[in-house]
Amino acid sequence: MTKQLSSRVATRTLALVSLGAVLAPAAAHATGVSAGTLIQNTASATYTSGASGGTVTSNTVSIKVDELLNVAVAGLTTTPAIAGQTSAVLEYSITNTGNGPEAFKLTADPAVPGNGFDATVQSIVVDSNGNGVYDAGVDQVLAPGASTPAIAADGSLKVFVIVSLPSGATDGQTSQVKLTADAATGTGTPGTVFAGQGDGGGDAVVGSTGASSNANDNLIASLATVALAKSAVINDQFGGHQPVPGAVVIYTLTASVSGTGQAAGVHIIDVIPTGTTYEPGTLTLNAAALTDANDVDAGQASSSGVDVNLGTISGGSTKTVTFNVKIN
Amino acid sequence: MKKIILTAATVLLATFVAPVAAAQAAQPIELKGQVQLDKIVVENGHEKHVLVEPKVVVPGDKLIFATAYRNTGSVAVSNFVVTNPIPAGVALAQGETPMAEISVDGGKTWGKLVQLTVTGPDGAKRAAQNSDVTHIRWTLAQLAPGASGTLSYRGVVR
Repeated sequence: MTKQLSSRVATRTLALVSLGAVLAPAAAHATGVSAGTLIQNTASATYTSGASGGTVTSNTVSIKVDELLNVAVAGLTTTPAIAGQTSAVLEYSITNTGNGPEAFKLTADPAVPGNGFDATVQSIVVDSNGNGVYDAGVDQVLAPGASTPAIAADGSLKVFVIVSLPSGATDGQTSQVKLTADAATGTGTPGTVFAGQGDGGGDAVVGSTGASSNANDNLIASLATVALAKSAVINDQFGGHQPVPGAVVIYTLTASVSGTGQAAGVHIIDVIPTGTTYEPGTLTLNAAALTDANDVDAGQASSSGVDVNLGTISGGSTKTVTFNVKIN
Repeated sequence: MKKIILTAATVLLATFVAPVAAAQAAQPIELKGQVQLDKIVVENGHEKHVLVEPKVVVPGDKLIFATAYRNTGSVAVSNFVVTNPIPAGVALAQGETPMAEISVDGGKTWGKLVQLTVTGPDGAKRAAQNSDVTHIRWTLAQLAPGASGTLSYRGVVR
């Protein structure tokens, strides 16, 4: 009895204090009331007793809203990213569909079933300046196992996964990279409770997403293959084609580039065969003469050999180099 | 030192006496609020509703707010009206409150949901929805001495 009476006093005091709190607006989110919000319910009654009226207020029941852990990951790379000589940047968004600020652990898995090749994941980068574009050296690179900064409830964060082609990938092969975001507080079957770990002082509860979500982005290998063919024509000094001393041999080296990508740093290098002498001034590239000196043009030639720098060549093009030697 | 002890004793005494006096003289009506969580548990493959103490509450959870009333006095009271503002973080659940009146304007006007309209941000009026409800109230014409009951509504955590 004593206990009941004293508790009634206590609760009545509470009711007076919290009447105002009932009207205080809770921050509204599409994903629900913010974690830590107090839901307080108080009823009051008016009545007539004889000639006079009265008012009575109930105790206030108060519940703290716990943190719901939910997340949605989406792949933003709509047309496959092209990976070739340079790395590909895959874009994803992480949306906190829970009701409290939460950080997420990110994992990029390049081994997705059906892949033509498994890309090499170089780094996971957060769009920390929020401009929606990958800025190398500016955006924050997440250390392996590190979590993103906390994302506000209903907030989104753009994330870049930088991948490169593994050796062995061939032109036109496709691949997917899966990015998984797990709530830093924890994941599990929906309803799993992490006591006391919710934002605002309550518990954290795993929502319908399991507090984990993933999405795939596509990439395609774009490579170029260089094939080199060498042929020779002998013109002897007698109008024939015999390999006799004094005959001139015209060597033709043809580089054929196939594939959708580009071949970079291609050089055609050949040595002057033993028993022959390079004929100065006979080096050509695509029928245009090149000087023998190591200068501004693409080629150089000497008594030991020729070297023509073709630079970066796109798939589908052909480059032809010729030079002459005389048989000693 | 002696004075402090005396003061403490006075407070204690007041704690014992005051509510008794209040309940019998000034407050013949007792209201007691309670909240329960309507939880769906799966048992042998069947979904089952159980009412539990709301230890863990997240958006989307269903709550039942109940107010128990009792006329603890010796005379009947009339025009007994219990008013319950809906907490901000809660929306009235669907298809409820046949015995009650509701308000969507903070308790200024009352009626059934179908009778009420809400003015949207664009100035246009639209039919009120459960989520617009701000208050719920019940009216009992007469409450005899010793009469008691429970008034409740269902809400969903927004």
